[in-house]
Amino acid sequence: MKYALLLTNQADEVASWQDLSEAEQQKLRAEEMPQWGELFGWIEQKGLKVEGLELDSPNEARTVRVRDGETLVTDGPYAETREQIGGFFVIESDDLDDAIELASRVPVVRKGSVEIRPVVAQ
Amino acid sequence: MQYMLLIYGDETRWEGLDEDARSEVYARYSAFGDEAGGQVTDGAELAATSTATTVRIRNDETLVTDGPFIETKEALGGYYVVDCESLDAAVALAAKVPGAEHGAVEVRPVHVEEGQ
Repeated sequence: MKYALLLTNQADEVASWQDLSEAEQQKLRAEEMPQWGELFGWIEQKGLKVEGLELDSPNEARTVRVRDGETLVTDGPYAETREQIGGFFVIESDDLDDAIELASRVPVVRKGSVEIRPVVAQ
Repeated sequence: MQYMLLIYGDETRWEGLDEDARSEVYARYSAFGDEAGGQVTDGAELAATSTATTVRIRNDETLVTDGPFIETKEALGGYYVVDCESLDAAVALAAKVPGAEHGAVEVRPVHVEEGQ
C-alpha cells in the first residue's frame, strides 16, 4: 500500500522564509542538504519506493470553488491556518513504521510536523 | 509547469453518502481524468483523517500521535499533480475537479530548483 506524507510548516516559519533574500534561502537550503542526503541514503539502503515534491510558497496559491455553476477564484491558500503544506512524499510500503521513520528524517519535522495518510487503493 | 491541485472537502459529507452516491462521485472523477488526459501526471485519494498519524520531533524527542495535526471541518481528501502551461490553465482545470463544487481546490505551483 501507499502512504502520503504531508510536510507541514508553521505559518510563521513560512513568513520568515519569504522575507529572506534568494542568497539567504540558498544558504539555508545548503545547510539542510546533509539531512536530505542522509534521508535519501536511508531510502536507497532500505530499497524503498518514495516519490516527493516541494510546493512553492502558499502566497503563490489560488483557491478555486464552483458554486451554482460559477467559478470563484481567490488568491492564497485554502486554509489560512497556522500550518501550511510545503511538500509531499508518497511512500510505497505495507509497514506504517517505514512511513513514520521517513517522516522523522524530514528536516521540517523538527519545527513543523508530518501528517501520514493512507492512500486509498484504486 | 507542474502544479499541485489540493482537494479539500467536508469529510462528514462523504461519510454520509451511500454506495450508489459514492460510485457516482468516482465516475465523475474518472470522467475528469479522461477529459484532463495527459495533463494529469499523478494523483491519489487519501483515507479519512481519522486514519492519520502525525509525527513531530521536539528537543530530539519523536512524538507520534494518531489523527491529523489540525482538526478542521474540511480536510485534504486527495490531490492531483498536473502539467499545465500556466497558472490560469491550472486554475481552469481545477474548476473541473468535482470536489470544487462543494469544497475547494487549492492550486500550488511545484517548486523547481534553479538549474533543474
